Amino acid sequence: MAKRNPNISGNAYALTILAPIKNGYTEEQIAYADIVRCRLQDWNNQDYSPMTQVPQTYLCRYYVLDDVYTESLPGADPRSRWLDLLTALPFGGIGNKLRVGMLPKEDHLQSRYLVFSCNFHGGPEGDLDGYLRGMWQAISGQIKDIWGFCYGFEEVDNADKFIAYMKKCQLPAALFFVGSNDDPLPEQLKALYLKQEFANFAVANQGLDAAALRANFKAFIERVQPNDVNGPTWPAGKYTV
Amino acid sequence: MTQKLELTDIQGNVLRAYGRFGYPVARYVFFNIRDDRKGRAFVDAISKRVTTAVEWGDGPGQIKQPDWTLNIAFAYQALKELGVPRSSLIGFSPEFISGMKDRRDILGDDGPSSPEHWDPIWCSNRVERDKDIHIFISLNARLPQFLLEAYQWLLGEVDKTGGGVVQLDGHRGDNGEILPYQDSHIVMENGQPTAKEHFGYTDGISDPVFEGVPYDEARLPGRGKQMPNGKWAPLATGEFILGHVDEAHEYPPAPEPVLLSRNGTYMIYRKLHENVGTFEAYLEEHGSKFPGGKELLAAKFVGRWRDNGAPLVSAPDTAAKAKFDADFAAADAKTKDKMLSDFTYDNDMSGGKCPFSAHIRRINPRASLEMVRGDKPGAMKISTDAFDTPGALTNRRRLLRRGLPYGEVKDRTRDDGNHGIVIMMLNADINRQFEFVQQQWVNYGNDFIAANDKEIILGNHSVDDKLPSKAVLQVEPDSNEAPYILPKIPRFVETRGGEYFFVPSMTALRMIAKGVVDPT
Amino acid sequence: MSNIAGKAYAMNVITPIKSYWAWINKLIFWAAIKFPGALTGLITLSLIHYARWVILKDSEFPHLAKEQPKEKLHYTYMLFFSNFNGSWDQYVDSFTFAIPGGLDLFWKWNIRYPKSVTLTPFHKYIRYNQIETIHYYSAYPLAAANDVKAAKQVKTALTQFHQDSQTLSDDEFMAGYKTLLRGLQHDLGDMYPTPIVTMAAYEVQERKYKHEREQAALAGGENG
Repeated sequence: MAKRNPNISGNAYALTILAPIKNGYTEEQIAYADIVRCRLQDWNNQDYSPMTQVPQTYLCRYYVLDDVYTESLPGADPRSRWLDLLTALPFGGIGNKLRVGMLPKEDHLQSRYLVFSCNFHGGPEGDLDGYLRGMWQAISGQIKDIWGFCYGFEEVDNADKFIAYMKKCQLPAALFFVGSNDDPLPEQLKALYLKQEFANFAVANQGLDAAALRANFKAFIERVQPNDVNGPTWPAGKYTV
Repeated sequence: MTQKLELTDIQGNVLRAYGRFGYPVARYVFFNIRDDRKGRAFVDAISKRVTTAVEWGDGPGQIKQPDWTLNIAFAYQALKELGVPRSSLIGFSPEFISGMKDRRDILGDDGPSSPEHWDPIWCSNRVERDKDIHIFISLNARLPQFLLEAYQWLLGEVDKTGGGVVQLDGHRGDNGEILPYQDSHIVMENGQPTAKEHFGYTDGISDPVFEGVPYDEARLPGRGKQMPNGKWAPLATGEFILGHVDEAHEYPPAPEPVLLSRNGTYMIYRKLHENVGTFEAYLEEHGSKFPGGKELLAAKFVGRWRDNGAPLVSAPDTAAKAKFDADFAAADAKTKDKMLSDFTYDNDMSGGKCPFSAHIRRINPRASLEMVRGDKPGAMKISTDAFDTPGALTNRRRLLRRGLPYGEVKDRTRDDGNHGIVIMMLNADINRQFEFVQQQWVNYGNDFIAANDKEIILGNHSVDDKLPSKAVLQVEPDSNEAPYILPKIPRFVETRGGEYFFVPSMTALRMIAKGVVDPT
Repeated sequence: MSNIAGKAYAMNVITPIKSYWAWINKLIFWAAIKFPGALTGLITLSLIHYARWVILKDSEFPHLAKEQPKEKLHYTYMLFFSNFNGSWDQYVDSFTFAIPGGLDLFWKWNIRYPKSVTLTPFHKYIRYNQIETIHYYSAYPLAAANDVKAAKQVKTALTQFHQDSQTLSDDEFMAGYKTLLRGLQHDLGDMYPTPIVTMAAYEVQERKYKHEREQAALAGGENG
């Protein structure tokens, strides 16, 4: 039996990318990581996210991981309580030493990372290559804009190299929870379109007699084309149909 | 484990809905502080007459029920003016500090409900320093003459401040006049006092019951929290009163020092205008089409029948209602109360009886949000043991509701005029309780798997034709019926003013009056 | 930054965990997949589109070039990504009210995890370890997870009824149509803009702009 792919749940795929950003800065003294952040921020000001053009993307996000956190908040570590007690005793010196030793250690990352976390429809086999190829074909310009400051990205100039690069930056999910459904995105969008349209239809045709209702329903079906995902639908990333 | 509250330290309006205790008339008066020293002297004088939550009785050594009551609360600016230190002020909740007007986008106070349409007193609040609303004082009385007596007493105290405290005017009255106070009173029907508001519904039946209120013990069923064994338990005191443990087993966030916040609470004051003409016309139009007829439709809006408040889950149709009425008529007062309050949605998970957008289901879903899709199309069912406790999503969203209708409806075909409800809600956390319910359950429906469909009566139904508001009145999944869809629901209720207030304990009130609040 | 895309909120949390506990955590996740009963609470809450946990130690951080310095860390780290509906408070509150046990199970082994039963320490823990999203995209900004699921019901039922109704008499059609509506009585909520959950100036303005622009485009389209 093939090993279970932890990134796949049904037909949904959890892609997690951590791409290390080079430790450097521009002549304007802006760190590369901050440029990445600015460019991503600029995407918010466009009418639509570039990701609308990437097929099968349900939801995705980008952020820059600057560093990890040191836990200094009080927590529920039972051992620390005993050590706190020790410090109150005559041999408190040892207790104190131990107690300080118990404090969470301070960790720091050597690089800042571009994090790309994406949920997409990959089918039962989890077609990551197909998804990434689609992404490259749709927005290779923006990809280069964002990933251009990452270690090792210099070589990436076509879809195959992009796929290979992304796989090197990929992390497996320990748990992937799908609370929605895992249909292909065009199916989901079509369904949302039908939901909105049919709700309107139900309101507009309430109380009609059977013949009139039937005629209107027929016209409705012809207009909304329930089985045609390319027909009238809800465009990806848009706020209105 | 059960605690006894310090009834002499808690203000009376926090624990008592005065309307239910024989006080049918009320007057709300608002003040601006012009001089901090005189302001504190005023608060000191008032504090001596504030009605506490103490138990009343006619026996020896007992406190007699007063002819009129007085309670006091402060807006954020008042605390600043009265000299409460900055380090205490920053501990108040951000919503209270910002004020209701600033929260309009969260509350959905848009279109005809937006602050520029509020009564003048609320328009100038937080715009002009000398018109800021600082102090709220409520007077409730057993008879109109006692209300006048109370008001005269209050005016006398204001006079003594020599201009240090100024009474604000700007409340719209019955004939369009501008008044220096807001009156409210119960609605009379055929010369008889009722517990109804102007649309004809009985109000305030399901006010929450929480731990430590001696006079609420018999009222627990249906008003506390629903337990896994089907019984009811009182909600944690800290959901409604600061300085006490809440449903999360912690003290709700509150300003320091603890003497300032303990036994106090936050109050949400809202003047809500009722568009009676629009309501009547809409009910008439759809009552004639709705399969169950007009009165059942009216009941579907709220979840209770208008004549006696019978809950739809107990009396879902005309036949069941007739049986309920017969039992109700024969019942004693205690049983009557139980019949109105003691129910669950366990047998109505699909909403075939009480629709998901009905007022009482949205305001207090009891245990009904622990739900998943049922086996039949259109059905929902209880998701047993999914949550820690059946009411997990409800118990921390409850609100004490106080208040009375105002104005009179002279012409039931018209919206204009001066009629509605002054509602005062009390909770420990404005954001988690009041604002959440208002935003997520009244003006939105995702928790009820209804997307943007709003609560029918209070929802801020859109005035924009492109975003019409609707509600689906569900039917039993095993029936042959189709759900009736209420289309293009108009705005039945409009906000006409409001603010967030802090209701201090008697201890805190005395400390504020003396200027000795000190968190250092 | 923008943690919000229409009705979805992007939450990112990174928390340290001792490496010897990390494998237990992985085991729990494995069990959660094997025995989905553990996720009943999450499913009933129905606020999540997609969520994932990722656990990695220093040697697992992607290393792409010789000149990239290697990571050296005391702890293993757990990354949590969630796409949920509603406000931050609503989400975190709902979790703690409804399924504190489930949360504790998933985070129990992390350094100084305060347990979720009392709200404030858990709020603080999540906020403390949260990372803001810079760009967040949803393919259906007006849909909550509930709507995506409801839409599938609508599509399936509608298609089926359309097929089945071809040969029916008018009376049968009417009965069938009623059955259709009854079956979809929890699936017909309107999808409009979500109530605003943040008062951040950018979000307020952006949200207004996006909806107005598209409404205008819609009106223009209708006229044209």
